[in-house]
Amino acid sequence: MKTIFKIALGIIAAIGGFLDIGDLVFNTQAGALFRYDLLWAVVLGTIGIAVYAEMSGRVAAVSGRPVFDVIRMRLGFGFGLLALIASTLVNLLTVAAELGGIAIVLELLFDAPYSMFVITGAIALVLIVALLPFGGIERLFGYGGLVLFVVVATVFHQNPDWGAVAHGFVPSLDSSTLYLYFVVGVFAAALMPYEVHFYSSGAIEEGWTEENLKENRLNALLGYGIGGVLSVALVIISGYLFHPLGVEPSDLGTVALPMQGAFGETGLLLALGGILFCVGGAAIDSSFAASYNLAQFLGWEWGRYQGPRKAPRFTASWLVFLLLGIAIAQSGINPVEITEYSVVFSVVALPLTYLPVLLIAGDRSFMSEHANGRIASALGWIYFAVIVVLSLAAIPLLLATNGGGG
Amino acid sequence: MRREGEIYVVHRLLDEQICDSEGRRVGRVDDIELRGNPPRITALLVGEGLYPRRLPGWAARLARRISGPETWGSNALRIPWEDVDDLSSTVKLRKKAEDLGLGEGDDPQRWIVRRLPWN
Amino acid sequence: MTGTGRKRAGCSALGLFLAIAALLFSGCGDLSNDELNRGVESLSALAAQGQLVANGVARDATKTTYARVMARTLGGEAEHEAEKLADATIEEPGTEDQRHAAVAVAGEISGLLSELQTFPGDERHGELIEKHLEEAGEKADAIVAQLSGDAP
Repeated sequence: MKTIFKIALGIIAAIGGFLDIGDLVFNTQAGALFRYDLLWAVVLGTIGIAVYAEMSGRVAAVSGRPVFDVIRMRLGFGFGLLALIASTLVNLLTVAAELGGIAIVLELLFDAPYSMFVITGAIALVLIVALLPFGGIERLFGYGGLVLFVVVATVFHQNPDWGAVAHGFVPSLDSSTLYLYFVVGVFAAALMPYEVHFYSSGAIEEGWTEENLKENRLNALLGYGIGGVLSVALVIISGYLFHPLGVEPSDLGTVALPMQGAFGETGLLLALGGILFCVGGAAIDSSFAASYNLAQFLGWEWGRYQGPRKAPRFTASWLVFLLLGIAIAQSGINPVEITEYSVVFSVVALPLTYLPVLLIAGDRSFMSEHANGRIASALGWIYFAVIVVLSLAAIPLLLATNGGGG
Repeated sequence: MRREGEIYVVHRLLDEQICDSEGRRVGRVDDIELRGNPPRITALLVGEGLYPRRLPGWAARLARRISGPETWGSNALRIPWEDVDDLSSTVKLRKKAEDLGLGEGDDPQRWIVRRLPWN
Repeated sequence: MTGTGRKRAGCSALGLFLAIAALLFSGCGDLSNDELNRGVESLSALAAQGQLVANGVARDATKTTYARVMARTLGGEAEHEAEKLADATIEEPGTEDQRHAAVAVAGEISGLLSELQTFPGDERHGELIEKHLEEAGEKADAIVAQLSGDAP
């Protein structure tokens, strides 16, 4: 019993904030617009990130290579640089969106100006990173994010039409472009690459070896599975409350409304608190991912465990990415809008960072007996096909729906 | 993987992470020097000055503008093959970074690194 | 095709592209029946969201800062929608009445949300505003019904 508890805590800490602002925005909008019809897309994306993360974690543990090491080895300098540039741009947008999300939640809690909270939020993140060890950071945001299970409680409290909910898990392709756009969006929000890049570097920060492979699999399945459960709950509760009223959620605060309705002020505070921890964790994950990717591609010393003195360029680049994120968040663009772009562009760039990991994970010369077996290989290639299709469809759908405006 | 035997130069050596004798990360194999007939690896080449070589036409011109010309000893460094100790998941060198002129970007003695607030 | 010929073809292609773009963008600012419809529907959605917030205030089941900031954000959106509807030129002549009504409703919603912003902790106010927002939402729904009735 004690070991199960320990494993569970480890999983929760490993993922460190299961949802980010992209999940919150896209899942809530998907429920409001299409009720339960996009649940299958959430599940598809959740399995996708579990597959990608398991492979990346396994590659890191067995060969000591994080994702952008793999990318440079497999794609070479030219295409690797392209992947780096695309990935960095997306990560920057993501950092900005998450910082904006932190500021919005703080504004909702304390009613002081948004721009002030962007800066104080960023400062708080820097302090947390400076003062806590890597594992501590992950535990803080992981446990804090668990509070968002109030959404699951709300779903059961409101008791929706479970038959209709079940029906939503069956894939269906409505012909409307808005629906297709949300298929891409919901999937992409679940499969944000920065999460996986952070996870694979984290494996090396924690000194993983082949002995950690079981842990890696558990983290991937259960850790991201928890995120999937929360995402599903968001779609359901949004479909239950917002769809009949025709509400179009365009603010982060709207995400918490169902919890206020069901459980009053307590529900509201739990929801906002959970959102704060999830988005805060995501801000750290995405900013770190940007620095990891840059340092690993160029061969610099890197890692939180090294400390700023041994890895000065890595540390400095992290601060620069935070500053750029602050600048974008302050630019006056609604963070919810920035989120939409970061999610859509991330799926466009996804094939470039996914394929090298898939190839190395199946390469015996790198992985010896831990290379992809039949199931992992099949899943890996199926998802590559799905990712390519969605990456090609993403921008045309974004333009056709006017940025999800319909 | 033994140094004297066969290795897939592009698949496993090029773009590989380099670590010095103390395990510090000091760059990647940006290019490889081959000499003789039949060609043998005589050195590993490291540095931003080498990036334009790895890029196609128009990108190379842009990169050359940014990184400047190849200045050996500064943005292009040569590691003689004899200084390579082992090849596994990184290229491990026999000597420390300073002895080979590597890892200056992260070197606490460099002026810009000294100016960082925590140094 | 010679070099200069290719260049000329490129120039005229660009010109054609710009002309089409200009044609498409000139549509902005004109309000088709569809766009008027969407505008009013979003008013109905704003009213519904405002009701949920007001309901929280009425039951004393929310945090005042949350209610105030939400009311402010939603009010801003309602105002923005009002301006959009008021500034645009109507494409279809028969819908002028509906456009006027829509602008009025938008103003009403924005005003109610402003009031909620001022009294985010007052339960009586919350109750009243919730009721008025429901009425405003119904007015918006009625306009939508009229518009679809008008549509061929």
